[in-house]
Amino acid sequence: MRTNWISLHHIPEGASVNLQKTLAKNPRWESGMELVQLVTGVFLLGFLQFHVMAVSTIILGAAAFNKDAQFLDEHYISYIGIPLVILAIFVHGLAAMRKAPWKFQEARVFLQHSRRLGHLDTWAWLVQIGTGMAVLVLGVIHIWSALLTWPIAAATSAARVQGGYFSFLLALLLVAEIHAMVGLYRILVKWSAYDRHKFVLHLIYATLFFVVLGLLALIVFLFINVKV
Amino acid sequence: MADRLLTLEIFRYNPLTPNIPPRMQAYQLRETPGMSLFIALNQLREEQDPSLMFDFVCRAAVCGSCAMLINGRPNLACKTLTQDLPDKITLMPLPVFRLVGDLSVDTGVWFRDLSLRTESWIHTDKTFEAQGLEERMDNPTALSIYEAERCIECGCCIAACATANMRADFMGAAFLNRIARFLIDPRDERPAAQVFEVVGTDEGVFGCIGLMACDDLCPMEIPLQGQLAFVRRKMALAGLWGK
Ligand code: HEM
Ligand code: FES
Repeated sequence: MRTNWISLHHIPEGASVNLQKTLAKNPRWESGMELVQLVTGVFLLGFLQFHVMAVSTIILGAAAFNKDAQFLDEHYISYIGIPLVILAIFVHGLAAMRKAPWKFQEARVFLQHSRRLGHLDTWAWLVQIGTGMAVLVLGVIHIWSALLTWPIAAATSAARVQGGYFSFLLALLLVAEIHAMVGLYRILVKWSAYDRHKFVLHLIYATLFFVVLGLLALIVFLFINVKV
Repeated sequence: MADRLLTLEIFRYNPLTPNIPPRMQAYQLRETPGMSLFIALNQLREEQDPSLMFDFVCRAAVCGSCAMLINGRPNLACKTLTQDLPDKITLMPLPVFRLVGDLSVDTGVWFRDLSLRTESWIHTDKTFEAQGLEERMDNPTALSIYEAERCIECGCCIAACATANMRADFMGAAFLNRIARFLIDPRDERPAAQVFEVVGTDEGVFGCIGLMACDDLCPMEIPLQGQLAFVRRKMALAGLWGK
C-alpha cells in the first residue's frame, strides 16, 4: 500500500516546503482543537439552557427558587459546575476564536466579501464572534457579581435585578441565547447532512422559548417582593 | 421586460498594465429577449470595447470557465439570463483565483493542483484485467460517487467561501468534495488515516467554518453541506482512532 499521498508528492505551484512548517504541522492537534471547540460549545449550550430553566423557577415563587438553589448547593453541583463553566468559557473562547479574522487585512477581506455576497450565513459568523466576545465580558461580570453575594437566594437576586441589573441581564440573556443557538446551527451544518432550511425554524422557536422564559423570570424578579 | 436599457458595471484591471489602477467601467446595452450574460458580454466586446477580457467556452453550463461575480455572487455567466437581473448589473472576476484581466481568472492551475494533490485516480494494488469482468458496485454507492463527480470545476464555491478568501492555502469545497468522492469509492484502497494526514488540518476540512455559501451558490447544486460533513466525520474519526 502506498503510504504517501496528497501534496506529499505534489507541491502546489507557488507553495514552498520549509523547516518550520514541516515541523509544526500536526493534523492531530488541528483536528483536536475543532473537537475541543465542539465539546465545550455543546457543554456550554447545555449549561446555558439548564441555567435559564433553573432560574425561571422564580416564576413559581421564591420558595421554589430557593429550594432549587439549595439543592444544587447541598449536592455540591454548584461547586463543581461553576468552576467547570468558567474553565469551559475560557477554553471554548480560545479554541473558537482561533479562526477569527485577527489580522486587519483579513478583517477587511471578510467584511468586503460579506457585503458583496449578501449571504445571511456568512454574516452569522460575525454575529458569532461579536456575541462570543460580549458573552465573555458580560458573563465574567455576571459570575463575579453572583459570587459576591453567595449563596444564591431569591432575595439577593431580586435585590440585584431591582438595583439596576435588569437591562444588563437582559442583554446577557439575548447575546448568550443568540450565540448558543447560532452555534448549534453551525454544529448541525458542519457535521450533518440534515436540511438546514428545515431545522433552522426549530432552532428559532427554541431560541424564542428560552428568551421568553428568561425574560419572564427577569420580570418576576423585577417586581417580586421577597421577605427574608 | 425586454427592451430595457441595461447598465453593466464591469471591473477593469489588467495586471500587465499595473499603472492603470483597477476601476469599475459602465456600459449601456439594450436588452433583447432571452439575453444571457454570454450574449451581452460578447455584444459589448464586438460593438463597444474590444479590449474587454472574459472567458466562455461551452456557453451551456458544462465547462465552468465563465464563472464570475454577478451582482456580488459567483455564478455561471452563460446560464444567467439578464431578465432575472435588475437594470443595473455589476460584474467582477472571481476572487481567490489569479486574475488574468478584467473578468478573466485562471482556475486551471488551481484545479490542476487539486487533481495532482488528491491524486485523482483509483489507487489499488489489484492488477487490472483488461479482458475480465468489471467489478460490480451497488447502485447507491455509484450514485453518490456520481453526485460528487458532477463538479464542473467552475470555482464558484471557492469564490463564495470566506475562509478561502482570507486564507489562500485553504482547500475549499471543490477540493473536499473530490476527497469525498475517493473516500466513498470502495475500489480506492487508500485508508482514511492517510487522507487524514493532509485533510484533517486547518488547510483541510477543519479550516471550514460552515458558512455554507458554497452549498447555496454551487451552480451544479451539488449537496456540499453533506459532502463536507461526510469528510469532516471521516477525518474526526481517523484523528481519534487512526482509521
Ligand atoms: C454561554 C457561553 C457560550 C456558549 C453556550 C457557546 C456556544 C457555542 C457553540 C455551540 C458554538 C459552535 C461550536 C462549533 O462550531 O463547533 C460556538 C462557536 C463559537 N463561539 Fe461560543 N459559546 C459560549 C461562549 C463563547 C465565548 C465566551 C466566546 C469568545 C470569547 C465564544 C466564541 C465563539 C466563536 C468565535 C465561535 C465560532 C467558531 C467558529 O465557527 O469557527 N463563545 N459557541
Ligand atoms: S461557458 Fe462553459 S460553463 Fe459557462
